[in-house]
Amino acid sequence: MQMRKADNAAFRERATFLTDYACWLFGCGATCTRMEKNVARMAEVFGMHVEIYIMPRHLHLAISDLSGSETSTFIVTPRPTPINFAVNTQLSRLSWDVADGKYTFEQACDEFFRILTPRPERRLPLLLIVALANASFCRLFGGDAVAMLVVGVATLAGFWLKGELLSRKLDFRIVTFLCALVSSILGSTAILFDLGETAYVALATSVLYLVPGIPFLNSFSDFLGRHYICALSRFTDAVVMTCCLSAGLCVGMMLMKVGMF
Amino acid sequence: MLTLILQDAFFSAVAAVGFSAISRPPKVAFLCSAVTAAVGHSVRFWLMNPDFGPGLHIILATLIGSFVVGLLAVFLSPIAGIPAETTLFPSLLPMIPGIYAYKAFGGLAMCVLSKTQDIYNFYFYQFSFNGFMTLALLLCMAVGSTLPIFFFEKIAYQATRHRKAL
Repeated sequence: MQMRKADNAAFRERATFLTDYACWLFGCGATCTRMEKNVARMAEVFGMHVEIYIMPRHLHLAISDLSGSETSTFIVTPRPTPINFAVNTQLSRLSWDVADGKYTFEQACDEFFRILTPRPERRLPLLLIVALANASFCRLFGGDAVAMLVVGVATLAGFWLKGELLSRKLDFRIVTFLCALVSSILGSTAILFDLGETAYVALATSVLYLVPGIPFLNSFSDFLGRHYICALSRFTDAVVMTCCLSAGLCVGMMLMKVGMF
Repeated sequence: MLTLILQDAFFSAVAAVGFSAISRPPKVAFLCSAVTAAVGHSVRFWLMNPDFGPGLHIILATLIGSFVVGLLAVFLSPIAGIPAETTLFPSLLPMIPGIYAYKAFGGLAMCVLSKTQDIYNFYFYQFSFNGFMTLALLLCMAVGSTLPIFFFEKIAYQATRHRKAL
């Protein structure tokens, strides 16, 4: 009887670990295929079998031991975390370390918590590098040096605002709208003051840093992996973000009277 | 010609590094993304150019460019010890059809606000053309970049197995 209780406790501990792992991996932007592979890899080492059912806002894990004597179902809501490829990479590495027997279960838990420990972010370098990236984007669309400068400034302002508003826990859709509004107003100064030869390119590219590129790619990747519901949910999220960004751009163009498309 | 291609490669690398920074990749991924984006985007640029390239349509050029990005990402990932997507997705960002996407929504908004049939027809064309282009380009990017992962699945999914990147 005592041994049976200990087995139950061990099973539940491992099942909870796998559930938390799946939750975080999903939250940090991994594709469904990677999530299934990583979780199954560790479950096999723990002597378990996992079936994952991925819903738009929930993960449903049916976990059983290989003998079939223990079965549990977990339904969890992934925390809304920003996409984080560093965590994705470390969690993938952890799954291989567990599969290759480099970590015991206890060590895997410690490593898991170490990976999830938040690290301080340096916002200024990020701000500058994103501004530079969007200015480069403007160049790729044929913008001249003046347009690049305008886009850089518009991106700096918009991306700074995004960080400030998100840190105040404002809804990300409102944040996207406001940032697009600010960036498009600043971007349209190139047209209003007749700066450079490619003022319209500056306006069109000033909001491109808000385009949800990775959610779009993730959704199509899940679609190809036949995870249709999750693909649709991620696609809808990305479309909503694009709607908010377009609305912000439209309002900015109307306010500055620089024409609509 | 070479200057134009190099210029395209340089600015795509900067764009990929900058936009990938938003998704907090491991440091080693910046270099991989820069190289992959530079090669992939300049291949697309060359393919689309009618003067010194074959002058392909953007959709076909994007499919081929994404395939190149996918191949490079799959083979660079094990060297860097990072998942293929960590290099792949940021490298594709310079090809994301952002302008098509928001022009589609702009067209939709203007359809609703239009007062005459001519204006409605014009904006409905804007909406449908840009919307279809967005979907087609995204699908081509996803197919092109994912094919190498399917072809070389073992390499792609074991990239984090032996190396400690962080």
